[in-house]
Amino acid sequence: MDTAFVEPTRRDVLRSAGLLGFAVLVGGGIVVLPEPAAAQQADPVPLNAWVAVLRTGKVVIRFGSTEMGQGIGTALPMIVAEEMDADWSQVEVRQIDQGPPNVYGNPKTGGILFTAGSSSVEGYFEPLRRAGAGARRVLIHSAAAAWSVPAGEVATEPGWVVHRGSGRRMSFGEVAGLPRLVTDVPAIQEADLKPRSAYRLIGTDPGRRDIPDKTRGSAVYSIDVRLPGMLYASVLPAPVEGERPVTVDGAAAKALAGVVDVVTLSNGVAIVAERWETALAARDLVKVAWTRNSPFRTADSETDLAALVQAATDGGRDAVAWENRGDAASALSAAGDRVVSAVYTTEHTYHAQMEPLAAVAAVDEDGKGAEVWLGTQSQTLSIAAAAQALSTTPDRIRFHAMPMGGAFGRRTFFARDILRDALLLSKQLRRPVKLMWTREDDVKSGWFRPATAHQLDAVLGPGGEVKALRHRVASPSILQFAAPQRWESAAGKDLLVMEGTESSDYAIPDLLADHVLVERRSRVSAWRGIGWAPNCYARECFIDELAAAAGSDPVTIRRRLLSGSPRGLAVLDAVLAMSDFGKAPAGRAHGLSFAGYKSTRGAGVAELSLDDATGQIRVHRFWAAVDPGFAIHPKNLNAQVEGGILFGLSGLLKERISIAGGEVQQSNFHDYEPLRIHEVPEIEVRIVESGAAPSGAGEIGVPMTGAAVANAVHVLTGKRLRRMPFTPERVKAVLSS
Amino acid sequence: MAKLTINGVSVPIDADPRTPLLWVLREHLGLTGTKFGCGAGTCGACTVHLGDQAVFACQTAIEAVGDTPVTTIEGLSAAGDHPLQRAWIAEQVPQCGYCQSGQIMRAAALLRSTPKPGRDRIIEAMAPNLCRCGTYPRIVRAIERAAKET
Repeated sequence: MDTAFVEPTRRDVLRSAGLLGFAVLVGGGIVVLPEPAAAQQADPVPLNAWVAVLRTGKVVIRFGSTEMGQGIGTALPMIVAEEMDADWSQVEVRQIDQGPPNVYGNPKTGGILFTAGSSSVEGYFEPLRRAGAGARRVLIHSAAAAWSVPAGEVATEPGWVVHRGSGRRMSFGEVAGLPRLVTDVPAIQEADLKPRSAYRLIGTDPGRRDIPDKTRGSAVYSIDVRLPGMLYASVLPAPVEGERPVTVDGAAAKALAGVVDVVTLSNGVAIVAERWETALAARDLVKVAWTRNSPFRTADSETDLAALVQAATDGGRDAVAWENRGDAASALSAAGDRVVSAVYTTEHTYHAQMEPLAAVAAVDEDGKGAEVWLGTQSQTLSIAAAAQALSTTPDRIRFHAMPMGGAFGRRTFFARDILRDALLLSKQLRRPVKLMWTREDDVKSGWFRPATAHQLDAVLGPGGEVKALRHRVASPSILQFAAPQRWESAAGKDLLVMEGTESSDYAIPDLLADHVLVERRSRVSAWRGIGWAPNCYARECFIDELAAAAGSDPVTIRRRLLSGSPRGLAVLDAVLAMSDFGKAPAGRAHGLSFAGYKSTRGAGVAELSLDDATGQIRVHRFWAAVDPGFAIHPKNLNAQVEGGILFGLSGLLKERISIAGGEVQQSNFHDYEPLRIHEVPEIEVRIVESGAAPSGAGEIGVPMTGAAVANAVHVLTGKRLRRMPFTPERVKAVLSS
Repeated sequence: MAKLTINGVSVPIDADPRTPLLWVLREHLGLTGTKFGCGAGTCGACTVHLGDQAVFACQTAIEAVGDTPVTTIEGLSAAGDHPLQRAWIAEQVPQCGYCQSGQIMRAAALLRSTPKPGRDRIIEAMAPNLCRCGTYPRIVRAIERAAKET
């Protein structure tokens, strides 16, 4: 029984998370180390903020991004290991739970510890290769000093420092055990970094470090954490955002054996019990009268979407320009009735991460500090939220950023409510608390990708070229809601809504992308693919419509649009070749989409058939070509693209959150059902390396899916799918229109 | 006090007989490899074996378990090296990993009853289990690999 029963107690969690007491060092710099002679065999000797070496030869590499399934806990340490010439089999990887953002923050996420927007590899590549090279230099200079030879004569092989002339060798562990480490080494210059041709580890597939535990049930997520004396809490959420409990009758619940308390929170009622099943049972006995005056009571998906369409299509509305090249407005007005136009919409989608939100908090006796376990996309933001909840300072929060059972944008800014509630309950009841949301809570209190309406207008030239394009998006601002302090300085530009509309790979002389800001009617958030997914769907469908209007075809028009983008052309050509585009078997059709995601380029082709009687789309095959610059960990990158494609297909074929009277109408996987295994196409992904700086891959699969499917349906039926999702009843209605 | 046989060991259980097996495994016994995903029998994250059958632990009251042995991911193999677990690593299946205990347990029940399932049989058998990361193609390949090796 001993081996079968895993109890991740507080002590165990602490042991695994806190083994290494790294000194906080300045960014990338080298500092004087504690006297290594006194170090024990197992004590890590820090070479800099990211790397420590043990006298056993083990190399511990830290990484700043949090693991939500994207394999970042392998890819980032590979960058460090490559530059320092570590032996990968000796490397142990450690996620950073907390630390100064100026040392560990991602330059691409505002310099804080924040994992979002496929930015980890892109943002950390430079700092980490310099950290690796700096660590290698300390090892070289230390060995050189011990051998009394010039450092220039000393080189490294994986795990070893070698003196060329004498053939002497010292393992990294032996260097760590030297009585004196030379840490005062010259700063790393660009020329000190390895050229790609010298890589031994990057571009290989050593396998993800987190996978073995995930096949044995031994990976510990925040929902799995158990502490001695821990209480369980469930929260009845307000039925509509903005409502508060007025009267709470918890008498029947409190009468249940094992119920500790019923606590009124600002926007919910918590039931706290010695056992989880007791908290759930007691929850059904609590009677709450809620306020009924929230402005969100009038939220309604149907009328709110109609208002979005109105906002996008009413040319008189104010709009904030996101991108403006040339003079699209004049070109459009001069073209008069030669303007080609179309309107597309998308609707609310839910993240449906497999692990419902959960937080564990143990508040200190003085109520001004706490130990916290949370699955989060941002250590920095979560620690700040915890400190705010307790009216304390961040240094009093001992934080454990736990592996996440999926995130997809759900855990960026948005885990703060559950964290706050767990802290307040632990503080009030003076015991550790695990607060778990049920799936129903997670859906009903979801923060959704907002519905969007897209008005596209274009002017075609005599040869069928796209001379002018306007892409107008009507949507609430995600940034305004999620990060009000960032919104203040954003001048009305919401990157979470608008990115992708700039269409920067496309040679269009006059282009205007603008945003009609509409008041928020639900909780909104980023969702895998962020704005790129709806924006690329609308634009790439429209490009096919323009090809038809010009008497051209989907390939020719895109080749021309991509004439100034070698990277865009390369992925387009690759996916055309992979799919033998346009030559689908009888009864099926191909649809094409180009799609970027920030610096990463991609293109996709869907092959599908359609059941005319039911309107059911069946995607049989999907091909994708992706250029991430170059791949750090290619097989994992491939898996990320596959996952992104399936996430996109799931959303566009099946997923829709509807809201009526301010209440979310769905509650669990029976009425919000992501793609299942029998609905999955055969997928082929090819990485087309341009050699540019490496960029992210976690989301590039999503934006290409919408138009690839809609464009294939048009080839098959002659009908345009301009409303996402393409549910069978909708497709059927379009077919009969 | 009721007793359950879990991973080959008889364990006393102090819980209401109607309590779902899922909470007893996870919160009473600390067998957290079995996951809570929906509580409604729609996602399969809580899949365990009751005898030879794959069941949703969230839909199985402990009073319904009786003497039938329960196997969880922690008890699937002594050293975490069941052919499916090895195949899961070889095919690099997990991403977030949260659904994978349930996926492996369902696949293990399939291979026990059907040692050489075809692709269609695999897909049919695995349909109750959701994976939001989209590891489905690799799940199929891993089951095919494990079936070949056994």
